[in-house]
Amino acid sequence: MAQYDGLFDGLGLRDWCDADKQDAPMSMAQLLAQSGASDSTEEGGGLPFPSLDALHESCAAVPQTRDLTAGIEAGFLAIRAELKFVLDPITQPLSWMLDGALWVFESAPWWVMIPALLALTYWVSRSRPVTGFVALVLLFFGLIDHYEVAMQTLAIVFVCTGLSVVLGVPIGIGMSKSDTAQRTIVPILDLLQTLPTFVYLIPLIFLFSVTESKLYGIAIILYAIVPVIRLTDLGIRLVDKDVIEAANAFGLTAWQKLARVELPLALPNIMAGVNQTIMMSLAMVVIASLVSAPGLGVLVLRGIRNLELGVGIVAGLGIVLLAVILDRVSKAALARVDTQRKDA
Amino acid sequence: MTAKVSIRGLYKIFGPNDAAMVDHVRGGMDKPTLLERHSHVLGLQDINVDMQPGEITVIMGLSGSGKSTLIRHLNRLIEPSAGEILVDGGDVMKLGQSALRDLRQKKMSMVFQKFALLPHKSVLENAQLPLSVQGADAATCDAEGRKWLARVGLEGFEDRYPAQLSGGMQQRVGIARALTANTDIMLMDEAFSALDPLIRTDMQNLLLELQKELSKTIIFITHDLDEALKLADHLVILKDGAVVQQGEPQGILLNPSDPYIEDFVSDINRARVLRVRSVMQPLTGTSFANDVSPSSTLEDLIAQSGGDTEQVYRVVENGTAVGQLEMTDLVKALVPRVSEGRTAAR
Repeated sequence: MAQYDGLFDGLGLRDWCDADKQDAPMSMAQLLAQSGASDSTEEGGGLPFPSLDALHESCAAVPQTRDLTAGIEAGFLAIRAELKFVLDPITQPLSWMLDGALWVFESAPWWVMIPALLALTYWVSRSRPVTGFVALVLLFFGLIDHYEVAMQTLAIVFVCTGLSVVLGVPIGIGMSKSDTAQRTIVPILDLLQTLPTFVYLIPLIFLFSVTESKLYGIAIILYAIVPVIRLTDLGIRLVDKDVIEAANAFGLTAWQKLARVELPLALPNIMAGVNQTIMMSLAMVVIASLVSAPGLGVLVLRGIRNLELGVGIVAGLGIVLLAVILDRVSKAALARVDTQRKDA
Repeated sequence: MTAKVSIRGLYKIFGPNDAAMVDHVRGGMDKPTLLERHSHVLGLQDINVDMQPGEITVIMGLSGSGKSTLIRHLNRLIEPSAGEILVDGGDVMKLGQSALRDLRQKKMSMVFQKFALLPHKSVLENAQLPLSVQGADAATCDAEGRKWLARVGLEGFEDRYPAQLSGGMQQRVGIARALTANTDIMLMDEAFSALDPLIRTDMQNLLLELQKELSKTIIFITHDLDEALKLADHLVILKDGAVVQQGEPQGILLNPSDPYIEDFVSDINRARVLRVRSVMQPLTGTSFANDVSPSSTLEDLIAQSGGDTEQVYRVVENGTAVGQLEMTDLVKALVPRVSEGRTAAR
C-alpha cells in the first residue's frame, strides 16, 4: 500500500486511477515494488515527497518521472526525420565551408600559409609588434610539430567566427530596432550562453552524422554567436541620440542612417563582440573535438583519455597561444578603428 | 507678405492618449491638472506663429517652456497632437514618409545645440552630408562643401575630424552643413547656447552677416534674451508651452504685455538694445543739436550727446527727416517699466 492512496480515494479519483490498470507487472520498478524490494516507506520518515513516482504507486494513471525523459526523447525522435529534412540542406553549406577551409589550411604549404597569415595580421592590425608576435607563435607551432593541428583549429575558428558575424550582426541590428525582437531574443541568448556546452552536442548527434563537419560547426556557432549579437544591439542602441536626430533632420533614409551613422558609430562595440566571439569559438573548438572536430582539441582529448600528460599540456598551451594571438590581433584592429576616429 | 512658415493651433501633449487630451486643454485645463487627472504632460498649447520669408524669428523661453519641442514640430521630428504646420502653404502634417524626407532634405535644414556632427567623418564629409544624402555627385558635394566651409571661416580644416575642433568651430561646421543643404528655411535649436560668450558673439555676428547675404527664413531658439534681441526680426516668447507675447522685439521691450515678460526684460541693458526708431517722436521742433540715424542705439546717442539731457536730435533716414528725439524721452525709455502712451513705431 502506498502513502497517497487515501488522497486519491478521498478525491474520488480511484476509478480514474485504476481505469487502465493492468494486472501483469509491466516495469522493473513495479516488479521490485511487488516483491517488496524497494520499500519507500522507510525513507523520508514515512511520508515521501509527493513526486510523480510516489504518486504513481498510489495511482497508476499518474505518469512516472522516467516517462518525462522518455517522452522528450520520443518526441525528438518523432520529429527527427522532418527536422533533418529541413536542417540538412540549410546547414550543408557549413560542411562545405568547414571542409574547404580545412583543406586550404592543410594543403597550402607552410611557406605560403605563414606569410599569408602574417599579411592578414598586418592588414587588420597595422601594427608591427603584433605581427612580429604572431610570426613568433606560428614558427613555434612549426618547431614543435603542432603546425598542422593549429592550422586546423584556426580554420574552424575562422569559418565559425565569420559565419557568426554574418548572421549575428543582422540579428543584432534587428534587435536594436525593435523592442519586441529584443525581448524575444534576449532569453534565447541567455539560454545559449548558460546551457552547458556538452548539451548542444546531444541533439545535434541525433540529427547529423558524427562524421559531418557541420555537426561541430553548428555547436560552435550557437555558442559563439551570442556576444556579437548582444554587442551589435548594444552598440546601435548607444549611438548618440543627437546624431540620430540630426540624421533624421537631414532626411536620411533608414538604410542611409544604418550604413552612414549607426553601424560606423557602433563599430567599436561590434568589434568588441567579434573579439569575444573569436574567443568563445576557440573555447568550443576543444569540446567539439568530442564529435570529430580536428585540431588541437583532439590532442587535449588524447591527453585526457590516455593520461598522456605532456601531450595534453602542450596542446592546451597551444590553444592558449592561439587565443592570445587572435585576441591581440582583433584588439589591435579595434584600437585602430578607435584611434582613426579620434586623431586621424 | 505671406508667411513662409505658419503654425496654426498647434498642441502637443505627451502621453499615450494625447489626441483625446487636446479637448481637455482646449476646455481650459492647465498643466498640473492635466498631469494629476490624466497623467499626460502638456507640452505646447494653441501655438499660432507666422514666420516671414527672409526674417529671423526667434523663439525664446526658459528651459521647460517647450521651445525645443516647438522647433522639432516644424520638420516633424516630433508629431503634434493637434494643429497645422504650413510651409509655403502646404501642410507638413499631411506629408507621407517620402515627401517628408524630401522636405527635410530640400526645404529645411537644422543646426543643433550639441552640434551633432558625425564623429567618424571629416569636417568636409560632414559639411557635404545633406548633398550626398540626396545623391549628388562627388564633385558637386566637394565643391559645395568646401565653399560653405570657407564661408563660415573653416578653410584649411576640411580634412580634420570634429573631435579635433573647438566647440565654436564645430558649430561652424554645423552651420556649413545646414547651408550646404541650400534650403530656404534654417532651424537653429539653441545653436549658440553651448558656446562661451565671446565665441557666441562671433557666431551671432556670423549669422547676421550670412543672413544679410542669403536672406533665409531662420527660426532660432534661445533662452538668452540678449541673443534674442540681437537676432530677432520677430520675437516669440514662450512660457509653459504657450505664447505669452510675440512681435517686433523693440515693441516687446517697450510694452511688455505680461509681468513675466516685464521681469524678463528688466535685467537687460536697454540702452544697447533700444534703437532711436523705437523711441522717437513726430517731427515738431525746428532746432536740433545734431542728426542721428533711426537705427542707432540709444547708447550711441548718449555717447554722442556727451550725457547732456537738454538736447534734441533730429532723426534722419536716407536724407529725410523722419522724427525727433528729446534726450529726456530717451532717459525715460531707459526706465524698465511699461511706459504709457508710447507705442513702438515700426
